[in-house]
Amino acid sequence: MVNIKFKINGQKKALNIHDDMTALAVIRSLLKLTGTKEGCGIGECGACTINVDGKAVNSCLMLGAQLDGTTVVTVEGLAAKDGLAPVQKAFIENHGVQCGFCTPGILMSVNALLQEIPDPGHEEISKTLAGNLCRCTGYSQIFTSVKEAARLAGQGDQHG
Amino acid sequence: MAEIEYVRPVNLKDALNFLWNHGEDTKIIAGGTDVMIDVRSGALDKKYLLDISRMDELKGIELNDQGLCVGAGVTLSEIYSSDLLESNALALKKTAYNFAGKQIRNMATIGGNVANSSPCGDTLPALSVHRAKALVADKKSTRLVPVEEMATHAYISSLSPKQIIIKFILTPYQDGFADFQKIGRRRELAVSRISMAVFAKKDKEGRIAFLKFALGACTPVPHNMELMEKFLTGKTPTRELIWEAGGLLAQKMIEITGRRSSTIYKEPAIQGLFMRMLYPVVK
Ligand SMILES: Cc1cc2nc3c(=O)[nH]c(=O)nc-3n(C[C@H](O)[C@H](O)[C@H](O)COP(=O)(O)OP(=O)(O)OC[C@H]3O[C@@H](n4cnc5c(N)ncnc54)[C@H](O)[C@@H]3O)c2cc1C
Ligand code: FES
Ligand code: FES
Repeated sequence: MVNIKFKINGQKKALNIHDDMTALAVIRSLLKLTGTKEGCGIGECGACTINVDGKAVNSCLMLGAQLDGTTVVTVEGLAAKDGLAPVQKAFIENHGVQCGFCTPGILMSVNALLQEIPDPGHEEISKTLAGNLCRCTGYSQIFTSVKEAARLAGQGDQHG
Repeated sequence: MAEIEYVRPVNLKDALNFLWNHGEDTKIIAGGTDVMIDVRSGALDKKYLLDISRMDELKGIELNDQGLCVGAGVTLSEIYSSDLLESNALALKKTAYNFAGKQIRNMATIGGNVANSSPCGDTLPALSVHRAKALVADKKSTRLVPVEEMATHAYISSLSPKQIIIKFILTPYQDGFADFQKIGRRRELAVSRISMAVFAKKDKEGRIAFLKFALGACTPVPHNMELMEKFLTGKTPTRELIWEAGGLLAQKMIEITGRRSSTIYKEPAIQGLFMRMLYPVVK
């Protein structure tokens, strides 16, 4: 067993985990944060995307022990007390969500993108979403949602 | 099987010490994008997982009197956003552009890509174009190994279990045409079936004055194709010439691998991909 300490969605955690556990298992099974999904489990679908120190990563391919000392945000950490984050609002209003299975991962990819590039172009959005599979929307509404999210965030609809 | 034990030494010296004593029972983990697949499926038959992902000694990209140094722990995202690589190793930077999705690029390291010894490791052709050598260390010694010799066969690394790749030392090339191309099932996520990288420079008369080329993925280990260099240097690149060179390349690939069932697809694909890659230098 390994001891890890990290911050997730603003809260400090100290856990004792199995050495070979994935970050995804830590988040879903130990912390019961089930917003993060497991799709393929082998790095291809992006449903398990979380932000670690501001970067989008596949939690299914990250060793849980490697969470030690990091700052993590999952989909549960996007919304502020006073309401949904701009990226969430934009996805709802622009039909970026259908079945919703890919959505938590996509939101976390987009969240990292907007922190890095506040006003991304089509190519940047496309490069970001290449690691997130969506079987429902055909992506067009997702592109619209991301552009709208950037606009909302730029207007100062900020969140914690 | 006993549970795997996770170890994270604080520095390279401690890591090398650990490997000196337990190398045979240890799997190194950097970004984990290859290793975790085996951890998850239970295929990993080692006692220890040695985490080198935070080691400062393996980080950083710099140009110094040794050459262009890229730390083994540098991620594909870092390669993609490096200005130093933009001006000194553009083919490597272009490799990062079509390497997996962003989530993978954020974790995957160049050291892991080479050490994994997959014939389809995308960083190999560009490293080979830049005549890169890996600086490899164990507790008692260090040595420089040309990247083409890092794998002896597909998936068989020439590293000993006591060794760590510290960095890659590349020959920098500036102000020329550089590219990386691959064919896979799907651009971002698929493993490459064919990959190639090039750096070329023309003289004032429009002839090819300097060319380095390497082929990856379709041969068990990467090859720097000096034959292409000899064939093209000093000539004016025309459509016909590039096409002919592509044909020569395909023949060479068959020489290396022997005729296989996939040859019928790969032969024209290599020629076509070579044509597409070099077309911008046609005058
Ligand atoms: C969905 C998906 C898409 C992918 N797409 C691509 C792609 O487009 N192109 C491509 O080339 N690859 C691709 N890969 C494979 C993988 O991401 C790369 O090979 C990556 O570069 C491995 O680096 P890592 O740091 O994650 O390695 P790890 O998984 O940590 O390690 C890989 C191997 O290298 C060893 N190792 C790591 N660092 C060192 C070191 N410094 N010294 C000695 N040994 C070391 C480890 O012991 C292990 O054997 C993909 C993988 C996935 C899951
Ligand atoms: S579950 Fe992690 S990428 Fe599919
Ligand atoms: S909304 Fe169903 S997979 Fe994307």
